[in-house]
Amino acid sequence: MDLVAKYQGVVGRVFGNENSGSSEDSYVERLLDRISNGVLAEDRRAAMLDLQSVVTESRAGQMAFGAMGFPVILSVLKEERDDVEMVRGALETLVGALTPLDHAKGPMNEVQPALMNSDLLSREVDNISLLLSLLSEEDFYVRYYTLQLLTALLTNSPQRLQEAILSIPRGITRLMDMLMDREVIRNEALLLLTYLTREAEQIQKIVVFEGAFEKIFSIIKEEGGSEGGVVVQDCLELLNNLLRNSASNQVLLRETMGFDQLLSILKLRGTTYRFTQQKTINLLSVLETMNLLIMGGPETDLGRDANKLTNKTVLVQKKVLDHLFMLGVESQWAPVPVRCTALHSIGDLIANHPKNLEELASKRLGEEPDLEPALNSVLRILLRTSSKQEFMAADYLFKNFCQQNPDGQTMLASTLILQPQSMIYAPFEEDINMSFGSMLLHGLTTGENEGDLETCSRAASVLSHVIKGNNQCKEKVLQIQLEAPMPTLGGPEPLLHRMVKYLALASSMKSKDGKSSTSTSENVFVQPIILKLLIIWLSDCPNAVQCFLDSRPHLTYLLELVSNPTTTVCVRGLAAVLLGECVIYNKSNASGRDAFSIVDAISQKVGLTSYFLKFDEMQKSSLFTSAKPFLPRKPLTRSTAASMAEIEDVGNESSDQKNENHPMLTSVFDSPFVYFMKRLEADIREKIVEAYSSPKTQVTVVPAELEQKSGENDVDYIKRLKTFVEKQCHEIQDLLSRNATLAEDLAKTGGNNSSPLERKVSGGSDRVQLETMRRDLQEASQRIEMLKAEKAKAESEASTYKNLAGKTESDLKSLSDAYNSLEQANFRLEKEVKALKNGDIEALKEEAREEALKESEAELNDLLVCLGQEQSKVDKLGNRLRELGEDVDKLLEDIGDDIGADDGDDEEDEE
Amino acid sequence: MSYAYLFKYIIIGDTGVGKSCLLLQFTDKRFQPVHDLTIGVEFGARMITIDNKPIKLQIWDTAGQESFRSITRSYYRGAAGALLVYDITRRETFNHLASWLEDARQHANANMTIMLIGNKCDLAHRRAVSTEEGEQFAKEHGLIFMEASAKTAQNVEEAFIKTASTIYKKIQDGVFDVSNESNGIKFGYGGLPGPSGGRDGAASQGGGCCS
Repeated sequence: MDLVAKYQGVVGRVFGNENSGSSEDSYVERLLDRISNGVLAEDRRAAMLDLQSVVTESRAGQMAFGAMGFPVILSVLKEERDDVEMVRGALETLVGALTPLDHAKGPMNEVQPALMNSDLLSREVDNISLLLSLLSEEDFYVRYYTLQLLTALLTNSPQRLQEAILSIPRGITRLMDMLMDREVIRNEALLLLTYLTREAEQIQKIVVFEGAFEKIFSIIKEEGGSEGGVVVQDCLELLNNLLRNSASNQVLLRETMGFDQLLSILKLRGTTYRFTQQKTINLLSVLETMNLLIMGGPETDLGRDANKLTNKTVLVQKKVLDHLFMLGVESQWAPVPVRCTALHSIGDLIANHPKNLEELASKRLGEEPDLEPALNSVLRILLRTSSKQEFMAADYLFKNFCQQNPDGQTMLASTLILQPQSMIYAPFEEDINMSFGSMLLHGLTTGENEGDLETCSRAASVLSHVIKGNNQCKEKVLQIQLEAPMPTLGGPEPLLHRMVKYLALASSMKSKDGKSSTSTSENVFVQPIILKLLIIWLSDCPNAVQCFLDSRPHLTYLLELVSNPTTTVCVRGLAAVLLGECVIYNKSNASGRDAFSIVDAISQKVGLTSYFLKFDEMQKSSLFTSAKPFLPRKPLTRSTAASMAEIEDVGNESSDQKNENHPMLTSVFDSPFVYFMKRLEADIREKIVEAYSSPKTQVTVVPAELEQKSGENDVDYIKRLKTFVEKQCHEIQDLLSRNATLAEDLAKTGGNNSSPLERKVSGGSDRVQLETMRRDLQEASQRIEMLKAEKAKAESEASTYKNLAGKTESDLKSLSDAYNSLEQANFRLEKEVKALKNGDIEALKEEAREEALKESEAELNDLLVCLGQEQSKVDKLGNRLRELGEDVDKLLEDIGDDIGADDGDDEEDEE
Repeated sequence: MSYAYLFKYIIIGDTGVGKSCLLLQFTDKRFQPVHDLTIGVEFGARMITIDNKPIKLQIWDTAGQESFRSITRSYYRGAAGALLVYDITRRETFNHLASWLEDARQHANANMTIMLIGNKCDLAHRRAVSTEEGEQFAKEHGLIFMEASAKTAQNVEEAFIKTASTIYKKIQDGVFDVSNESNGIKFGYGGLPGPSGGRDGAASQGGGCCS
């Protein structure tokens, strides 16, 4: 293995560098040689003793032993069982080699020889097997050292040892047998088993199979129960390890042993006024066992819920409540952590368990004449304890009692009856005969100075549980009228108003000594708790909203609180939620108090953007983000137990902390409430958007009303229309003003420098949105510019066209004039033509005839001339021919025939 | 929690033979056709009556898978009774019986009562191991034998009770040193007077009757 090589490398390096190291090395080597090869028993024993002291004294010795010693020592353990002294020595040597030396001077990152040696020894399963077999040895010291050795191995290499022990048949059986051994061995084995069972589930089961429960309870009994010492604590730690992650083991405990023995540890015995630290730790450990049973195993377990339910049922059947009330309420000497854990356990036992709820409701405490309901006792503690942690535990109990328990709520609310004045101012000691409700009212109303305001806020927290989600109870509490502290100060006032008054009082007290943070941190939870009460009260309860708004200053105060920069993020956020409830659960129609008026008031006084910002801020605060369904408790071990028992009060510790993370606030902002507020916020946003997007119902425009009714005379009709118009006028004015505030709001958010703070907090998404809007705006204005230019162009074009059109028109006019004159001319001419036609035709005919005659005469003359010319030609030619002797006459006749014959030929051709 | 005796049982056998289903049928009287693989061991308990004495049975259902063998071996020694289960429709589960038995002989105490169960006998049409073979194997190794069905509940009650009455008889015969708890037997807090009222938690299943 490389580890061995590395180890030897380290050893070599160390020894190479240090003279002392190498001397240790050779010394150890010599001793080992004497042990393995010595002949004299005495000498070997002496060598073993020397080796033991080297190994327990120096790191170098441990290292040298690790490099060479194991085979020698292991062979002693294997082969020399009979030599008890050698075996003891070998075991002691091993224990020494595995125990880290605290006074090591080497640097932290240097190899720890003890860890190395553990690793080397636990690598071989056979070695573990060998050690387990030594547990059966007769000799007490052999068993004792072996257990120590195993514990050392387990501390240094737990995984390895767990696996080895699991793989060895009857390995655990051997260890379990040690629990029945002598006290020293038993205690050692107990520790070993406690380590061994912290994580390994299979080991837990085998240990249980081997009868661990019986053994644990018998040891606890032997040791005196909760009065016992640290062994009892170890037993309980082992028990808790076995139960923590195993529903199966829980079932086994319940089914075979039952819870009786467990509960008997819770029972206070002996000197009940003495609570040593050990007793406190023992009790806290049993309470943790209780808590593990109530949780019913790991969350991944399928049968967890059924198991949890059965455990709760059986525990309460076994009267666990008696013991828990003894520890949490009745014992005056129980330390605060025990009291708180007991109250917490009661709260867990009753949560979502109808039968146990009933059991608690009917539970009575005290001796016969002074018997009082247990819930009253818890309430008294809640109101009067000086420990904030105790208040929170008691508050947790009431919260669980009221959760999904409307009957229980109604029962508590039914006792909310005001006692006569004399009783209100009665000292607390006389409150034994008071009902739950009277005590609560007493607590609610006795506060004017700071101390009592705290009492008041505690009572307010309880009241908020009583009315949560229960409208019947809300209405009932709404009816409560308180008499004024002094009769002269006016009539009775509703409880709700008194609560608002205290809310205001708390802030005025703070502002008075505002700068001193210590005094405010004490009271930092007063306002949130009262606000939580009001939020729960107003939720889904229009009458409570009405009652709240009945007094005008309430709204004004709330608006101021929302935007008050001196309060905490959480108070502003809660106030914003409360304000939102005044909108969404508002059924009022009265002007100034209806939902619309509230919305207007918000947008005018706070501004919608900054209003919603309050929600965001609260959501982002650590209180909201850290709200968890439940805080898993740390297992109580030897190391954590002492600190747990010492915590006296969380409140004192954290006074230096930031106000925001006050533990009280964390308990106020539990996850159901956080979820509830997130849902409310969504509703509020929706409702406000709705308010802006739809007109008021009172001025709906109904067209039918605009018509004149059949029987109505004109005067009435006009009057009616007039009022209608007036109404609309108002409406328009309203809308305008709202519009203006919105615009202002928008401008504020959009402006670069108007409110840097708001801009800083406003989320990135807002900014992005703003940016896109700005870009849109730019684009739009650009487009408008473009459109303007286009329009100008169009206009100029239009004017040109207009001119053109004018010109054309005038042209058209002159044209039509011309046409008219032409037509006239035409007409005249036609007339002339008509007149002329009748006289001149005969003369024209004559003229034409004469002309035609003249023309034909001239043509005839021409023809005659031509004829004459031709005749002379013929004569001339005839004479010539006669000269030539030709019969001219005959020729002439032939010419005439030829012409005729030609004509005949032509005719023939033509035919 | 009053009982005259408390007996610890283990259920062993190959994976998938129906060990967890047998236990569920016995403790809850129901059958779950699809059962998750058992990891390590699971626990169940029930009260029965033998010879008019209330007897608490603590039953440890082990994982059949080979990888859990070393863990489950830790349970052998402390058990008074073992149910060795095979599946009559899967021959190999029968063939492995010898190795299971060897394991048991090696790690358990010698007086442990072993009941051989041929499970799934409702699936007769798929039978791969005959009843006779089972009987023969049991006879050879000195086991009690029964065929049973976790599905129909046939013989389930009987198997657990028969084992218990065998152990009971051994006690009567003085086979056990009852003061030594390591053999899986314990005297109850309630002593011998018999069942005393219903203080037995919510999940008390009532007793079967001795056969």
